[in-house]
Amino acid sequence: MKTIITITAFFVCSMLAAQTQYETGMQKALSLWGEGKPAEATALFERIASAEKTNWLPSYYIGMINAIEAFNPKNREKATALIEKAQNAVDNATLISPNNAEIMVLQAMVYTAVLVQDPMTNGMKYSGLAMEQYYKALAIAPNNPRVVFSKAEFEIGGAKWSGADTKPMCEQIAKSIELFATFKPETAFHPNWGLDRANEALKNCK
Amino acid sequence: MKTFYTFILFFLSFTVLAQNEISGTVLDEKNKPIAGANIYIDGTYDGATSDENGKFSFSTTTTGNQTLVISFVTYETLSIAIDVANYKNKTVKLRESVNSLDAVIVTAGTFDAGEKARISVLKPLDIVTTAGAMGDIVSALQTLPGTNTVGEDGRLFVRGGEADETQTFVDGIRVAQPYGATTANVPTRGRFSPFLFSGMSFSTGGYSAEYGEALSSVLLLNTQDEMVEEKTDISLMTVGLGLANTQKWGKNSISFNTAYINLEPYQRLIPQNADWNKPFQSLSGEAVYRHDFENGLFKLYAAFDASQFDINQESINSTTKTRVDLNNNNFYLNASYKANLSNHWQLFSGLSYGYGQNKIGLDVNDVENNEHSSHLKMRLKKSFSDRVKLTFGADYFITKFDESFNSNEDFTFKSGYNANIAATYAETDIFFSKKFAGKLGVRLSNNDLLEETVVSPRASLAYKVSKSGQFSLAYGSFTQAPRQDYLKYADYLSSEKADHYILNFLYNKNRKLFRAEAYYKKYSDLVKFDTNVSQFDSQFTNAGSGYAKGFEMLWRDNSTIKNLEYWVSYSYIDTQRDYKNYPTTVTPNFVANHSLSVVSKWWINKLKSQLSITNSFSSGRPYNNPNEANFMASKTKSYNNLSLGWAYLLSQQKILYVSVSNVLATQNVFGYEYANTVNTNGIYERREIRPTADQFFFVGFFWTISDNKKDNQLNNL
Repeated sequence: MKTIITITAFFVCSMLAAQTQYETGMQKALSLWGEGKPAEATALFERIASAEKTNWLPSYYIGMINAIEAFNPKNREKATALIEKAQNAVDNATLISPNNAEIMVLQAMVYTAVLVQDPMTNGMKYSGLAMEQYYKALAIAPNNPRVVFSKAEFEIGGAKWSGADTKPMCEQIAKSIELFATFKPETAFHPNWGLDRANEALKNCK
Repeated sequence: MKTFYTFILFFLSFTVLAQNEISGTVLDEKNKPIAGANIYIDGTYDGATSDENGKFSFSTTTTGNQTLVISFVTYETLSIAIDVANYKNKTVKLRESVNSLDAVIVTAGTFDAGEKARISVLKPLDIVTTAGAMGDIVSALQTLPGTNTVGEDGRLFVRGGEADETQTFVDGIRVAQPYGATTANVPTRGRFSPFLFSGMSFSTGGYSAEYGEALSSVLLLNTQDEMVEEKTDISLMTVGLGLANTQKWGKNSISFNTAYINLEPYQRLIPQNADWNKPFQSLSGEAVYRHDFENGLFKLYAAFDASQFDINQESINSTTKTRVDLNNNNFYLNASYKANLSNHWQLFSGLSYGYGQNKIGLDVNDVENNEHSSHLKMRLKKSFSDRVKLTFGADYFITKFDESFNSNEDFTFKSGYNANIAATYAETDIFFSKKFAGKLGVRLSNNDLLEETVVSPRASLAYKVSKSGQFSLAYGSFTQAPRQDYLKYADYLSSEKADHYILNFLYNKNRKLFRAEAYYKKYSDLVKFDTNVSQFDSQFTNAGSGYAKGFEMLWRDNSTIKNLEYWVSYSYIDTQRDYKNYPTTVTPNFVANHSLSVVSKWWINKLKSQLSITNSFSSGRPYNNPNEANFMASKTKSYNNLSLGWAYLLSQQKILYVSVSNVLATQNVFGYEYANTVNTNGIYERREIRPTADQFFFVGFFWTISDNKKDNQLNNL
């Protein structure tokens, strides 16, 4: 009996320790990102990903940070490397968690990052790829506010070019804001972004 | 309970005791510190980021042998086995990744198109939005340096080589009949619509040992690896109809594209130089099926094409016109499988079968020929590292050709041949550094019909001189079996040969590209014959020879002026050859010494339109005037063609496209046909060879139906 207790205690302890380590790590990495240190944040997320091989979140954040960095005009020279890094992270996250609408939204963002590098060449193909991801995500999670918002935002981007009516997209953005109000992330580290951007986008609609 | 605490204490103390310090410095190849590198023990949280001096240190609770990972963007990730107990103040060197965008690439002789190409000279979109190209891949390539526009032929003529010195490959597999069938002085088009292809590589010399049986050039077309979405494209044109559709399900997708072209209504409206009994009409279709495997991709490509026309051809040697009534049926099938195996091996295997049938009525006589051709291919690639790759493989080409000529006087002449070519090759790609790379290969091939075995070495080197500029050098020896017209009468010939030497400079920055290339090409063993045209009783030899040398420039700018893309290409060539029935060594009649093309595309947002303008200029081409003492000593006037295209987005998925070729209605002359005998004044009379029509007008409406409302056919115009 003693042995069992000991062993159980050992496992509980080590699990608790790991949990805390994960939480500290994630918090630190997210705050590094918040402080405008994307490279350091990526490095820490990579370390977390190397230890937490069954958790898709560290890879998700690596993908997110590097995709956003690729949009920054300052990083034009490095953009291809950043996109590659983001794509690898998305691939890793998808392996761990297939059919995940949040990862699909991220994948669409990575495609959009490729698109903006050279819209004349990449426009047609990558807008198609991005839309495919949004449709897939919508089928899985029709009430995920990020899916609804990101799809509408992407469509507005295209409508500016073609002169199509943006009214239906704006309605979707308004709908996403309602969805944000009731959305509860699974844990503190699950994706929970987008409300600010949706409010901002809705302002531009009017 | 006591034991429990003991245990906990034991573990805690163990943890404290086991703290190991890991420290060191991360440097690049030039011993400069790398700041921001990520250093960690694989599978743990233990790690750090290097500081501005490249220094790092952290402690770890792990013990014994572990894997230390050091990574930094644009550098190769390093994994090293360490003993955590004594890894202190060590120096780690990272090498720059040769996969990064600014690494040197071996480019001599080659133009790449498509998103996978690191330096894309032409985009897939360009093929279709280049005014005057009319969706023909070959016409678009004719705006690149190294090619000669031969308006009465329509095929690709590269660096002083005949059109059949260029081989076409789809997904790495040869296409025996890449062009539509035609007759003298009626230009042909490539068989492939740009619709199904995503990448293209056009080499004007010095290409890889993977490709053989081409003296001058190879054109590599790749079908799309993945289809983005399901959609339907409908095209209504003044010359016919088109329909394309893509379906996806699970790991499969299929795309097909079909077109019916009939020039009759058009030619009734617009006067033609040629005398048509029945204008060109064709029904063609292509389909690609793809299946994704976990580590591989299977593709099946099939194309068929049935075309016919009936024309009365003028000749200076006859008062009546010769009626040519041509029916062509063509079928091509190509299957390939690509797989990534373990240990960085990659396998590619594929086969093709092509069948071409021509039935040609020449007045009261007729000719029928059939060609069956097949290519079997296998290729293995091993990546030893990012820096060293080895490729090797084997090819087997089978050609069976037979032809029968039937005169109305019950005379039949049959000719034909069976040829089998077996070839094997090996090639290695080496990066000596991020700035210096090379490719070394050799090809061995055996032709059983000609009873010969040839070894062809290939080599190229590239060196980066600055951030945006690089030089490349290439050498290669190339062989090709004599063309069908000779082989069907003479299987005692041997292969024709060419050696290429190429020096290339490439500058690429901010979507601006400058490319300059100089080359020397030496031909030997060219086929000669002793009659007016090659025929069954000609005496054939391999006594011909020749050379070509020249320089070429390309400037492409996609960024200086917003929404304007343009390129300018210029080629100078000096070439002479003694082949066919030439009495001496001269510049052949398909070569213009100077060629200049200017292509521009301007997107006008306000009008929702893309305006494209192409101007092609070539200096005069030689022709033989029998009234003069010297052979092939006269030259035509220069050639010029200004074409315009206008694509208007009616709505996001509906496009109206209008184009006009030769807007200025320049009266171009390709050459002259002279009489075989003198007239009463002792002069050989002549006839101009002119385009079948001076101008071509095109109006089309293109409609895309898909879920993605942004998609349209601007790609396919």
